[in-house]
Order: sequence, then C-alpha cells, then structure tokens
Amino acid sequence: MSTAGKALAEFIAEGTEILESLSRDLLLLDQQRGTEPDPEVINGIFRAAHSLKGLAALFGQERIAKLAHQTEDLLDRLRLGKLSLDDQVLDGLIESLDVLQSLLSEASREEATDSLGERVTTLGQRLADLGTVASASDEDPLDRLDLPAQVRAVFTEYEEHRLRENVRRGVALYRVRAAFDLSDFDTGLTELNARLKPLGEVVSTLPSSEPGGLSGIAFDLIFGAKVSSEELTQKLEGTPAQLFSIGIRPATPSPRPSESESEPEAVAPTLAAASVPARKTAKRKPRAPKAPTPEVVAEEVVATPTAKTTVLRALESEPAAETTEAHVPVRTLVQDPPTSRSGRGEGESARSLTQTVRVDISRLDALMNTVGELLLIKANLQRMVESVRQDPGTSLSKAWGQELSRETRQLERKLDALQEGLLEARMVPVGQVFDRLARLVRRIAREVGKEIDFIIGGGDVELDKLIVEELSDPLMHIIRNAIDHGAESPEARLAVGKPRRARISLHAEQKGNHVVIEVSDDGAGIDELGVRELALRKGLITEAQAREMSRRELLNLIFLPGFSTARSVSELSGRGVGLDVVKNNIGNLSGIIDVWSERGQGTAFHLTLPVTLAIIRALVVGVSGRTYAVPLNSVLEILSVKPAEIRTVERREVLDVRGSTLPLMRLARVFGHPEHHPDRYFVVVAGLAQERLGIAVDELQGQQDIVVKSLGGRLQGVRGISGAADLANRRTVLVLDVGALLEEGMSTERRRA
Amino acid sequence: MPSLSSLLDNFFYRPDEDVGPIEEVVAGTDEFIETAAEEVPEEYLAFRLEGEIYAVPIHGVREIVKVPPLTEVPRAAANLLGVMYLRGEVLPVYDIKVKLRLADTSALVAGPEAPPPPRGARIIVVQTADGLAGIWVDAVSEVVRLRPSMLELAPPGVGGGERDCVVGLGRRKQELFILLDIWQALS
Repeated sequence: MSTAGKALAEFIAEGTEILESLSRDLLLLDQQRGTEPDPEVINGIFRAAHSLKGLAALFGQERIAKLAHQTEDLLDRLRLGKLSLDDQVLDGLIESLDVLQSLLSEASREEATDSLGERVTTLGQRLADLGTVASASDEDPLDRLDLPAQVRAVFTEYEEHRLRENVRRGVALYRVRAAFDLSDFDTGLTELNARLKPLGEVVSTLPSSEPGGLSGIAFDLIFGAKVSSEELTQKLEGTPAQLFSIGIRPATPSPRPSESESEPEAVAPTLAAASVPARKTAKRKPRAPKAPTPEVVAEEVVATPTAKTTVLRALESEPAAETTEAHVPVRTLVQDPPTSRSGRGEGESARSLTQTVRVDISRLDALMNTVGELLLIKANLQRMVESVRQDPGTSLSKAWGQELSRETRQLERKLDALQEGLLEARMVPVGQVFDRLARLVRRIAREVGKEIDFIIGGGDVELDKLIVEELSDPLMHIIRNAIDHGAESPEARLAVGKPRRARISLHAEQKGNHVVIEVSDDGAGIDELGVRELALRKGLITEAQAREMSRRELLNLIFLPGFSTARSVSELSGRGVGLDVVKNNIGNLSGIIDVWSERGQGTAFHLTLPVTLAIIRALVVGVSGRTYAVPLNSVLEILSVKPAEIRTVERREVLDVRGSTLPLMRLARVFGHPEHHPDRYFVVVAGLAQERLGIAVDELQGQQDIVVKSLGGRLQGVRGISGAADLANRRTVLVLDVGALLEEGMSTERRRA
Repeated sequence: MPSLSSLLDNFFYRPDEDVGPIEEVVAGTDEFIETAAEEVPEEYLAFRLEGEIYAVPIHGVREIVKVPPLTEVPRAAANLLGVMYLRGEVLPVYDIKVKLRLADTSALVAGPEAPPPPRGARIIVVQTADGLAGIWVDAVSEVVRLRPSMLELAPPGVGGGERDCVVGLGRRKQELFILLDIWQALS
C-alpha cells in the first residue's frame, strides 16, 4: 500500500472509532430524551466532535473538519447552557452523525459527491441556526451564592454555567476542602474525585487560599451534592476532606424566563427518565427533583429482562408529550431531497469502514511472550542439530531422542497457545454491530411512522471480526423486514389488543462452538398460506409439493431466490435484495438461518454461526481417492454402515439411526466422482441447528487443525465447498460447506416429494 | 486528497530531482533531445500450447511455477482444472485450450486418476480482477522483446473463432507469436 493510502486507512480507522463512540453517546442521549441530559455525556460527545475535527483537518478532509466544527460549536453552546437540548437539537446532532458517517465512507472511497456536499452545507446552516434563544436572565443565580468574589472570578465559563445550573435546580452546594501532602497530592485528589463523582457533580477544583500545612497543598472543590449532607459526610469519612456548605440566598420572587422555559421539561413525567439509572447512584435518586413515577418503573422492568439489555425508544409517542414532539420527528427526515436519500442509502450499510481490530495490549503481550518461548525452543533445537553435526556417532543416543521428543511437545504446546492467542485477538464483541443497527432502527422507524422498542441483548458475545462484519448486512436486512412487514402500525396493534409499541429484539448468545443470534418481533407474523400461494404462483414449487409440505417447510420458502411477499415494493425492503441473499451470506460464513413464525404473534429468525472461521478443527475424510475436510463443529457423530443397511424412502436413501430416519447423501455421487463400492461406508452425521444429514464417505483419515482459505471471487459460486486448506506435504484439500450440503439434501427431498 | 505523507514528501530530497537540469546544461543545446525516435520494445512471455507459440505481455504475469498437485473442484466450471496452494493463497488453475479451440475438452490433470504432469508443463500466475489465477501451459519458451513495428493485427479467422482472445501477431524473423489477451481467455 502506498504511504498516502496508508495514511488514509489510518484516518478512516480512527475516524470510525470516534464516530462509534459518538454514536454510543448520542444513543444514550436519545434514550434519555426529555430528561435533563447528563453533562458528562454531552461533554463526551463534545470531545469526540472536537477530536474528529482535529483529525480531519490534519488529514486534509475539509468537509468532515467543517461539519465536525459546526457540530462542536453547537455542542459547546449546549454544554454552556446557551441552548437547551430539545428534540430539534438532538435530531440535528443525529443527522450530523449520519452525514459524518457518509462523508467518512466517501473519503474511504476517495470521492466527494456534490449531493453530499450540499447536505453538509444545509446541515451546517441548520446547526448554526438551532436554538439561538439564549436564556437572558435578568438576575444571575450566581449572585445569590455565598461565594467570595475572587473565587468567582477564576471560574471558567463552563464551570459558571454548571454552577448556575446546580443553583437553579436547588441542589445543595458544598465547598469541599482537602489538604494533601505535596508528594502525592495528585493521587489523593484523583481518589477524592472518584469518591465524590457518584454522589454528585464536582463543578470546579481550585487551589485553596488557606495554607495546606507545612509541606502540603489544599484544594477547594465546589461540589453539587445529589445526596443528603449526612450521607455525604459518611461517605467522605477517612479522606482529608472537610465540608462547608455554600449558602444560597432565596431567589427573588419574580419569575425568570429561563426558569419558566425549562421547568415543564424537568417536571413532566417522562418515561425515559428510568433508563438513566444504570449506575449505582440511581437508587439514591429519589432525592433528585425529577424522580421517576412508579408506573414508569414497572413498565421499564418489563422491557428490560436482564441487566445487559438496553432499550431504545425509537419513537416517542406519549400523548402527554410536548407539542414540539408531534411534528419534529417526521419533519427532519422526510424533508430530505430524494437525491440525498439515495446517497444515504448507499452509506447506510452497518458495515464498518475499516479492517482494523482493537486489541487489548495484554493480549498482544501474551502473544509476544509465546513467541519468546518459541524462540527458546528454536535455540534448543538448533543446539541439538549442532551436536549431531559435530559428533554424529554418539549423539543419536536414547537421551538425545528423548530430548528431541520433549522439545517437539513443547513446540506443539506453544504453537497451540500462539494460535489460540491469535484467534482471541481477532475476536470482537457483536455489540459493535448492534450499536450501529440501533441507530438505523431508530431512523427507519421514523421514516415509516411506526413505534418501536428496539431491545438489544448479549452484545458482549464475541465473534471473529470477519464474521461480525459480514453479519451486519444480513442483520440489517432482517431487521428492516421486521420493521417493514412485521411490526404493525400503532392503531392496528391497539385494535388487536397488543401494546401500542411494537418490540423488535436482537439477542446474541454463545452455545458451545456456535453463536446464535436471534432477531424477533411481536408483529403480525408470516402468513404461511400466503407464502404457499405466492410460491405456487411464481412456480417455485408445484401443487403436489405444496400439499406435502409442513408448516416449517412452507415458512422456509421465503429464503428461495425470487421470493418476496411485499405486495407493493416499498422503499425499504424492495431493493432487489431478498432473504435468499441473506441466506447466502450466512451460508458463506458456514452458518445457518432458520425462521419461526406464528400468525399474530410475531416472527423470529435464528442465525447459528461458528465463533471463528480462521482456524478450525476438521475431520479429514476420503472419498473415491479424493480427500475432503469436514469442519468438526458440525459433526455430531460417525457411523459405520454396511451397504445393506441403507434403505430408501420414495427412492431417497435414508438410514435408520436408533429409531429415527436420517437422510443420507453419498458424497461421491453428489460430487460426480467415480463411485467405489466398499464393504462398509463411514457416515458422517452432520448437523446445524435442527437439520441433520448423513454424509457417506469411503474412509476416515483423522482429525487436523486447518486454516481455511476462501476460494476467492471466481470460485465462490461452487456449491458445497466453503474453502480450501493446506494439509502437510503440499496437499490441498477442499473443505465441505456443511450448511450448503444440508440445504441441498433438504431440497432434493423436497423436489422428490 | 493532499494527505500528510504527500505533503511531507515534498520536503524531502530525491536524488532524481536535480539530475535532469544538469544534464541539459552539459548537453549544451537549446533543443530538447529527441527521445521518441527509437521504438520502445515491450517484453512478452512466450509459451507453448499444443505446439503453437503464444505470448502475453510480461507485466501481466506475476510468476511461473512448476505444476503442483492440483486439487479438483467438484461441480465447477469445465475450464477449471483445479485449485493449488501458493504461499498461503488458494488459487484456481484454468485451462484455455478449449477456449482457443486447441482441444475439445480440458485435460484431466487433477485428482487420483490424473497422470503426472508432463515435465515441461508450468502454471502461469496472473492477477485478475477477482484475485490471482493460474493458467496451464505446456511449456514456457522464452521472454521476447517485440517492438511495435513487429506487431500486426490477427488475420480474420485466426484465434480459434474466439477473436477476442487473440489480439494480434508478433513476428520476429521467421518466428510467429500469437499475442493473447489472457484476461479475455479466462472469462
């Protein structure tokens, strides 16, 4: 790669990371819609925008730098309280995140389209015009504060604002004085800060005017407490801190505009308030002015079954919502000109733009250690070789042989450790993709005017980076289908007695060597009779086949190419990419997809995926003199079968295995190799999800760890083969794609039925 | 995009930058030196297919390897001979004789029934849009330098009916090279 290309790749990787953290924080703000935003979150977003600005400017990405700058400007005003966080501001921020994402993806392709440039300009204008209403209060609440003037003079603008905010909310303010020894005051101060943080907000840290002892230094921390003074005193026990209350004179009775403006927001019973308390402080929250109402809590509990689960409110819909809410959500997105919409559609992939993986340095250190040990073994082996060379006669003794075998065992162990470490380094949490999908859901839900709770769980399950990336598009497609076809409109839901808001959940779970990802909704479900009718009309199945098919088989017809149940091709799902492509993509990852649906109850898709693709343990089998590898994670058992035991059901070969019937496939026949007729076959029983298939081969050659290489662009279409691997002594074997073979076994069954 | 590295690049001294002007001064003429007068020959790799000599521009060839044991791919396209391993990459090996109408069917060269490959046979590895690919040739003969004046268009009817693959003929004294568009032959 050229140096310029490398620099660009670096920029894209870092930019993506920044945008990801930005998006996480924005999501948090979005969930807390309607409540007083956490200043820490806003600060986090502000910092992210700021670093993106600097980074983009450094790499000459002017459009990104400009938009990041405008976003930062807006956030700065927000941070300083010159602007309150209403829906328009939040929508503006989210849109600017979208645009930044598209800009980054254009930058990665080294292009710059005019339509996006235009969007940047109009958005920048909008951001600049947003909420210019600065709260011009006639009386500064800081004047009511019992603080010496020289202390007030050193506050920064931001600190002043936070202080004002605390006074306005009537929070008890303290001056926490702490003296530390000069030698370790930094650690002492950090510790004190860490203690105070859960109890309230540290507005400012100032060096104290009081002397801090002989070799000491004292600080004054201006602190707005969320807890009672008794609790605060108790929590601060054991620290050098002393508490002084800062008196506040009562406010003048004349109502100030700033207060009347923000009051209803704070007092209104807002649902999202309850999603804040992920932290421990939540339990002490009742003291805060805006306690969540009990009913709200109850509802939240229903929606969040586990601690790991997060709920995203895709569209606020409370009847009591402020008047602005009613028109804002629709406005921002529908007004976009169609050109920019198509441009966005392109950048809308939830795929990440970069190939980089963040690796914990301790993992790399462990790898480094292993390499060091390998070098030691190499040195030992070299020494042994040397000794043989110098004295060929005596060295080939028994002791020498033992030493050699010991060294090889060591080598083997270390190589195993190295391999394991490398695999681990490739693992990333699926949550990376889930977060990106959450944003898309929010937007799509708005576009189609549906009210959706998007529930994410199991985001910390780890998968190979490659799989996670390849997963994003199929998942997005399934979720779109769920929003578009599954979830009903609020009115329709109320009519059938369901809660107004539809639920779509995305959940990952590790099951042994596999990860199962479930996308489910509580929507209308799939009408299998409609599926059947459509499949018949399109000639995908015959009348006779349709009669024979079970409900499950009928449902699985939706994965056939050329199938689409949407009557009108909608903008969302009618992109010519169907579930067949989803199925193919999952198949390329050696995964399998299954669908469950109950009319009126909802639909669930299960994606079963291997944890890693890079190195797998495989069973090496022989058939007609050829060698193939079968991934061991899909092998359930191996049977030895005499030809006489093979029976046929409707001319299809089956085996009777402990009372149940197992479809059988002769690999030689399927692959068109000359068939031998051995006395006994070995049958590899392969299974993924609940499908089972027996694959008959001539011989078993053992197990081996293999590195699977993809067959590359030109050969990707070969059915039944997922890649190739190099066995020792330059033998290349093909790796069977068990998912595809299962599929084929099932479809021949269907065809013959 | 003026990236950081290209900006930095401008700062650094490159030995070839200041040589040009000096040479001009030494030459001591006001006119520019004519360089276009001489034809620039291009190098071609010549190889043998069923007794005929074919040639492809050498810059398109990544390497030439002896025929390794090939692994046949069941149910793949007819012109795919098999796959081979080359330094950690799996690449497909193709037959182009059928496409050029030099043979009716692709030879059986992979799998347990295949005879050992002829001594001279080689695989030419080329870069294609879909990654590396190998091409079976009966023998590699030489690298020839052909000037533009030595090239001619292929006469009608040559190229085994697949006119697209044969882009012209190269003539060096009595020798004839059939110039091949290798990517076209693979499609």
